Amino acid sequence: MSTIEVNHLSFGYPDGHHFVIGRKTETRVEVLRDLSFEVMPGTFLVIAGPNGTGKTTLLNLLCGTLVPKSGSIRIDAAAIESYSTEALAAKVAVVRQEFVPVFGFSVIEMVLMARTPYYSQMGFENKADREIVSEALKATDTAHFASRTLSSLSGGERQRVFIARALAQNTAILLLDEPTSFLDLKHQVGIYDLLKRMQLEKGKTIVAVTHDINLAAQYADETLLLGADSSYQYGRARDVFSPEQIEKVFGVRIFSGKVGQEKFFIPLGKFAKDSRQAGSNPDSSRQK
Amino acid sequence: MKELLTARKLGVRLTLALVVLAAVMFVCSLMGTESISLKAVLAQVGGQEAINPDYEIFVQVRLPRIILACIVGAALACSGVVFQALLRNPLADPYILGISSGAGLGTIIAVISGFSWTLWGRSPIAVFAFAGAMGTVWLVWFIGRVTGKSHVTGLLLAGVVVNAFFSAVIMFLTSIAKSQQMQTTIFWLMGNMTEEDFLVLWLGAGCVAAGMFALFYISPQLNAISFGEDDARSMGVNTARTRTIAFAVAALITAVAVSLSGLVGFVGLVVPHAVRLVFGPDHRQLLPLSGIVGAIFLVAADTLARIVVAPAQLPVGVVTAIVGGPFFLVLLVKHTHKVGWLSK
Repeated sequence: MSTIEVNHLSFGYPDGHHFVIGRKTETRVEVLRDLSFEVMPGTFLVIAGPNGTGKTTLLNLLCGTLVPKSGSIRIDAAAIESYSTEALAAKVAVVRQEFVPVFGFSVIEMVLMARTPYYSQMGFENKADREIVSEALKATDTAHFASRTLSSLSGGERQRVFIARALAQNTAILLLDEPTSFLDLKHQVGIYDLLKRMQLEKGKTIVAVTHDINLAAQYADETLLLGADSSYQYGRARDVFSPEQIEKVFGVRIFSGKVGQEKFFIPLGKFAKDSRQAGSNPDSSRQK
Repeated sequence: MKELLTARKLGVRLTLALVVLAAVMFVCSLMGTESISLKAVLAQVGGQEAINPDYEIFVQVRLPRIILACIVGAALACSGVVFQALLRNPLADPYILGISSGAGLGTIIAVISGFSWTLWGRSPIAVFAFAGAMGTVWLVWFIGRVTGKSHVTGLLLAGVVVNAFFSAVIMFLTSIAKSQQMQTTIFWLMGNMTEEDFLVLWLGAGCVAAGMFALFYISPQLNAISFGEDDARSMGVNTARTRTIAFAVAALITAVAVSLSGLVGFVGLVVPHAVRLVFGPDHRQLLPLSGIVGAIFLVAADTLARIVVAPAQLPVGVVTAIVGGPFFLVLLVKHTHKVGWLSK
C-alpha cells in the first residue's frame, strides 16, 4: 500500500490583480495540473524541474500547508483533509528552505519544539520526548553544539539542525525543500548521505525537492520531473533522468556521461569551451 | 549539554521573582513625600485607633497606586512578549497595532464631548479608552486578515497606518480643544497612576491575571509560532487557534492597562527584551517572568516619579524611559551573544 497517493491533483495561486475586498476572485495562475503518482513506504523520491513548475507548491500541498484546488492527496490511505494539524504532523515532517529565526533559540530548544503537540498540560516535555530528541541530535551529528544558537552555526550545521527537528517529529514521511541549496559539495553529499541512512535504517519515506539532478540521480529511487505547462514524468530515477529528458525539460544543452554506475549531467552554456565536443559525445544528445 | 528549562526550575525562578516583587512593593509603599510609620498603619489594621493619617495615606493613596503599577507593568510586558512573538519582530510592542492611538482617541472624544454624566460614579474616560483600544485592534486585525493568509506584514502596516491616522485625529482634536480639556488629555497621554477605586483595581487585576494564565497556557505554541506559522503548523501546532487567543488576550490586557493608566511607554518593549537577554527566548519562562519583572519595574519607576521632584510628580513614562533606557543598553551590550536577531 502506498504511503503517499496523489490523484489528479491541480493547484493554482490567486492572480492577485483582481483582488476586491470581501469578494474572492477565481482568476488563478495554474501551477500543477492533473498530477498523479504514488509513493511506496521507504522510498527516496526526488522532485526536480525548472523554477516555477510547482515543486515547492507540491511540497506544501503534501504537508497540508496548501489545499488542492481539485484532485486528492491521500496519506496512508486517508485523505489529507481528514487529518487534524496534530495528526498530520505525526505522519509528515517538513524541512523548509533555510531561514534564521528572529529570536535566539538554542539548537536543543529548537529540536525539542518538534515535540510541542505531545507536551503535557503543564507545557513541558517528558522523558520520552527527550530521548527522541537526543536520538535525533545523534543521528544528525548535531549533539555537540546543541546549546549553541542557530545563528552561530554554519549553513551545513543549520540544515542538519532543521533535519534533526523534523526527525524528532518521529514521522514515517520526511519532506525537504532544497535541503542542499546553500551548501558546499561536501555538505551537500553529507546531507544526502544522512537522508539515505534515514531511509535505509529507519525505513523513512523521503521526498526531497532539489535542483541538483546529479545528486538526485545518485540517491533517488524514484523521480518526479516537473516540466513547463504542467507536464511531468514520474518513474524510476534512472529512467527519468536521461540527457534528452533533461535537455527538453530544462531547455539547456547537457553534456552527460557515466562514472561507474552513476550518470552525471553538466549543463553547457553558450560560452562553454568544449561546446563543440559535447555534441560528439556518444552519451550526450543532439544540440538544439 | 545545556541545562534545559524544567517545570521545577521555572517554579523556583517565578517564586523568587514574586518574592522580589513583594519586597519592592513593600519598600515602595513606605516611600513618598509624607513619611509614614508602618507601626501606625498596622495599629489601624488592628482596629485600635479611630482615625489615623498614616493609615489613610497608606491604604487610599499609596496602595492603590502600587497595585495599579503592578497590573499595568505586568500587562504591558506580557503583551509585548506576545506581539514580538506573533509578529516575529523584535521592535513590536503592545502599542504596535494601534491600541495606543485608539485608546487616546477614545479618551479625547470623552474629554471634548464634555460628558457630565458618570458611569457608576466614575468619569467615562476609561470606558471610552477601552472601547477605542479594542475597536482599533479589531479594525487592524480585520484589515490584516483581508491582506492575506500570512498577514504579519499586512497587520504591521495596517497598525502603523491606523496609528498615524488616529494620532493625526488626536492632534487635530487637541488643537481645537479648550486648554483645560487639553491638559486632561495630555496628562492621560503621558501615563498616570491615579486610581483610587479598589473595585476597579481588582477588576483590572483579575482580567490581567486571567490573561496571563491563558497566555502561559499557549506559551509552548508561541515558541513554535515565533518560527513562522507554516513551520509551526507542520510541527503540529494549531496556529489559527494559538494566534487568535494570543492576539485577543494580549490586546485585551493592553486595553485594560491603557484605560486604567493612560499610555505608559517603554515597559512593553524593553522588559521582554531584558528578560530574553538574561534568561533566553523560551516563552514558557519569558511570559510569566516578563510579567513579574514588568510589575517590579513599573512599581519602582512610579515610586521614583512620585519622589524625585516631590512634592510635584513626574509622568511615569518619563521615568521608565530615562531609567530603563540606559539599564537596557547595558544589558544589551553585555548579553548580545545570546540574541539571534543581532548576531546575524
